Amino acid sequence: DDLVAELQSLRSRSPSGVIHLTDTSITRFLSAPAPRPYSVLVFFDAASLHSKTDLHLPQLRREFALLSASFLAHNPASADLFFADIEFSESQHSFAQFGVNSLPHVRLVRPEHTRLAGSEQMDQSHFSRLADSMAEFVESRTGLEVGPIVRPPLVSRNQMILLVILFLVSIPFLIKRIMDGETLFHDRRVWMAGALFIYFFSVSGGMYGIIRHTPMFITDRSDPNKLVFFYQGSGMQLGAEGFAVGFLYTLVGLMIAMVTHLLVRVESLQIQRFTMLAVMIIGWWAVKKVILLDNWKTGYSIHTFWPSSWR
Amino acid sequence: MAAATALDSLPAPLRSLRLKTKQQELLLRVSALALIYVLAFVVRLFSVLRYESMIHEFDPYFNYRTTLFLSDHGFSEFWNWFDFESWYPLGRVVGGTLFPGLMVTAALLHRLLRALSLAVHIREVCVLTAPFFAANTTLVAYAFGREIWDSGAGLVAAALIAVCPGYISRSVAGSYDNEGVAIFALLLTFYLFVRAVNTGSLAWSLASAFGYFYMVSAWGGYVFIINLLPLYVLVLLVTGRYSQRLYVAYNSTYVLGMLLAMQIRFVGFQHVQSGEHMAAMGVFFLLQVFFFLDWVKYLLNDAKLFKSFLRITLTCVITVGTLALGIGTASGYISPWTGRFYSLLDPTYAKDHIPIIASVSEHQPTAWSSFMFDFHILLFLFPAGLYFCFKRLSDATIFIVMYGLTSMYFAGVMVRLILVAAPAVCLISAIAASATIKNLTTLIRTKSKSPQTVSGKSSGSKAAAKGAVDQSLPFQQNVAIALLLGAFYLLSRYAVHCTWVTSEAYSSPSIVLAARGHNGGRVIFDDYREAYYWLRQNTPSDAKIMSWWDYGYQITAMGNRTVIVDNNTWNNTHIATVGRAMSSYEDEAYEIMQSLDVNYVLVVFGGVTGYSSDDINKFLWMVRIGGGVFPVIKEPDYLVNGEYRVDKGAAPKMLNCLMYKLCYYRFGELTTEYGKPPGYDRVRGVEIGNKDIKLEYLEEAFTTSNWIVRIYKVKPPKNRS
Repeated sequence: DDLVAELQSLRSRSPSGVIHLTDTSITRFLSAPAPRPYSVLVFFDAASLHSKTDLHLPQLRREFALLSASFLAHNPASADLFFADIEFSESQHSFAQFGVNSLPHVRLVRPEHTRLAGSEQMDQSHFSRLADSMAEFVESRTGLEVGPIVRPPLVSRNQMILLVILFLVSIPFLIKRIMDGETLFHDRRVWMAGALFIYFFSVSGGMYGIIRHTPMFITDRSDPNKLVFFYQGSGMQLGAEGFAVGFLYTLVGLMIAMVTHLLVRVESLQIQRFTMLAVMIIGWWAVKKVILLDNWKTGYSIHTFWPSSWR
Repeated sequence: MAAATALDSLPAPLRSLRLKTKQQELLLRVSALALIYVLAFVVRLFSVLRYESMIHEFDPYFNYRTTLFLSDHGFSEFWNWFDFESWYPLGRVVGGTLFPGLMVTAALLHRLLRALSLAVHIREVCVLTAPFFAANTTLVAYAFGREIWDSGAGLVAAALIAVCPGYISRSVAGSYDNEGVAIFALLLTFYLFVRAVNTGSLAWSLASAFGYFYMVSAWGGYVFIINLLPLYVLVLLVTGRYSQRLYVAYNSTYVLGMLLAMQIRFVGFQHVQSGEHMAAMGVFFLLQVFFFLDWVKYLLNDAKLFKSFLRITLTCVITVGTLALGIGTASGYISPWTGRFYSLLDPTYAKDHIPIIASVSEHQPTAWSSFMFDFHILLFLFPAGLYFCFKRLSDATIFIVMYGLTSMYFAGVMVRLILVAAPAVCLISAIAASATIKNLTTLIRTKSKSPQTVSGKSSGSKAAAKGAVDQSLPFQQNVAIALLLGAFYLLSRYAVHCTWVTSEAYSSPSIVLAARGHNGGRVIFDDYREAYYWLRQNTPSDAKIMSWWDYGYQITAMGNRTVIVDNNTWNNTHIATVGRAMSSYEDEAYEIMQSLDVNYVLVVFGGVTGYSSDDINKFLWMVRIGGGVFPVIKEPDYLVNGEYRVDKGAAPKMLNCLMYKLCYYRFGELTTEYGKPPGYDRVRGVEIGNKDIKLEYLEEAFTTSNWIVRIYKVKPPKNRS
């Protein structure tokens, strides 16, 4: 009960309610005889690995803090569950005791766990939807309710008000400019660039990347030094391949437009001939490439249907 | 027309010759259009040829059933129909919860055919409704293309949309769904509106309003129209293209369209209350303000006075508007946006907040390969078409560009919205294809004819005239020929691609399954209909069938029996009850089934045939949805280390829940594949974990020939002893 009070005071010192533990404090709080009156969810952190982007450690740590804050907001002064993190370089001994040798790693030490290594590990699938899925893990294992995950809004309230005021103030000026007809809105090149960008973004599956959080490329499983840019299989795509194909579409389309509208303005016959030749070759190559890639990716072999008597 | 004046100036003999070519051109155009019309219809008949004339998939069965009801009982009965055969014991107010456009159209077509003494069954009418409307869409596309560019572009657009896979996917014969007629209505409304804006005529605006009414009566996608039109008006205002024509067109279309749309019970007052429709209303008021200001400016005739007046009015209007919107929203009079609408604007919204939307496969974001699959070379032509439109900006081209871009963006968010983008992509691509080919052909002809004739000939269309003059210089004739050949090669590849896609990918009815046998021949599994007809013939007519909601519409339509839940997923608790029953132990499930008066349970099982979208694969969704309402059902109980298994290592709760038992009952005695132990599940690729299944409260009633559908009878309660 001293321990609980101590944990609570430690918790109140951290803004998100995550207690920072070290080797000594772990022995104090977690090696106390079971059953202890509290569970502890421990996040294993390593400052040296923060630079490794594929581990997403800083992001997961932020989500962990969010989880802790949401739990606190929903159950203020709860003494059943505490959130803690330990850092590898200062608590190597505890890492060994828990038997942790890969990150990211989160463990739940329940009241009845006698050995640290016997505590329960949160598996990878619970990191997938960040704080929400971690909350599910906590709720299913401890029976405590975490409550809704409270994410800080992207723009804080004051900034929001400021923006709205700025917008309202600028309305008359904007209307004046629009009336006079001298804004960017009246430049059709701006509109065209925007239109082409929307097109490029849509057909390259950019939205797919945003919604599914797909990476630009992945490393080959069999050979970590090799990068994979194109994913085989029609249900899924990587960011880079989409943009590459989208670029090819736009390229060919713009070349058609350029030949009929811009090239005719050029005076030298030589340049015109040369450009025409280049356009034809590039166009042929790009179309061929896209069709090949599509057939390779989806695995379809599209063929013509001929009358059966022709065979 | 410029052509007419040019013709008058020609000498008499030449004029008669001219006329002749003009007639030839007309003849060519009409016959090409007729061929396109037939092609659009015929290409959608692959499903009938490969299978048979039948209704496809799930939702169309409901539409078919309601159409049948409508043609049997008349419109007022249909409008007031309370359907007690679905959602037992709740029932469903059908008239007030559907878009009646499709059913009314099909029933009218049927009546028309009967009046012409063509004795056809209503099912054939339903099967062929979508191809018929797709054919009509080509005509609208032609007219639309002519409106925004020239008749050549219209013709190309009609040809492109006739076979565009993005559109075919929802309009093959048998796919009797709202989208079949809705795309026609959508394009028609847009065409009529653009026409109205171009002419400023009241008649076209009213026609557009009626087109909108038809769209509202047919599909929930009308929300796209009611938001695109105001957006278009807003862009025209911002770019300084406000005109009286626009004022007339938008106001009359909006006011009349709104009044008409409110006649559809399912929409009703939503049209003036829900947040999704507020943009249209806001722009409506904005237009009045614009008009008013214009008028005051004209009256005042003094820049300074007008400026101060402008300042006061604008402040007032903005304050009043914001206040009204704020009060309306706060008091609940204006309902906030629905989740689906949100997920279009902020694509990540659905994933975080509405799993039931995110889980449906047609709501997934679109990968580039899907775009390629559905549009093929149109994607190459689209940017060129955009460029052409920007080079010749008019009210009409601005509209098509906006339609193209917004729908393209939405198509990126959700796969199913490729359908909405298809007409726009076809039109814009048609502009590019037509303009390019026209330029090339005029070039080739320039060399052989005198320059005078050419300029006279091509002045019929304004753009080509200008193009032909300054573009005749650079191209050598053979370069032009090479480019033409290339263009035709691409277009022919497009035709090949579309035919292949239609016949192989989009023509499966998914109620009759086809697979390749060992010797390469086609094997047909007709188990669904076998089971439904068994129900129809062998069960009492008041029997209640419990199954997962996917099969509800089919059971009521083909089996003519009452179901507990169906595809109209309006009551989550009821679905969760069924999910709970399926995932409970047999005795607990029995209590639930007793409380719902269930007589038969129907499950779909693919372990014998390797049919992968069966109930065992859908089972986790039943657990999730059941657990969402009844916390006694917990997903981890059915998983082993987060893994979903059915073999020996499966979770004990999984091995003994009702769904598992019903699917695998006596499956352990069956050898499915040579060289594998008995009870080998060909979908999951494992030997099942519980081969000795005993049923206590249910008994097997019927299993179809390939085991795809299994029906069990719920035993009556035991006698009291």
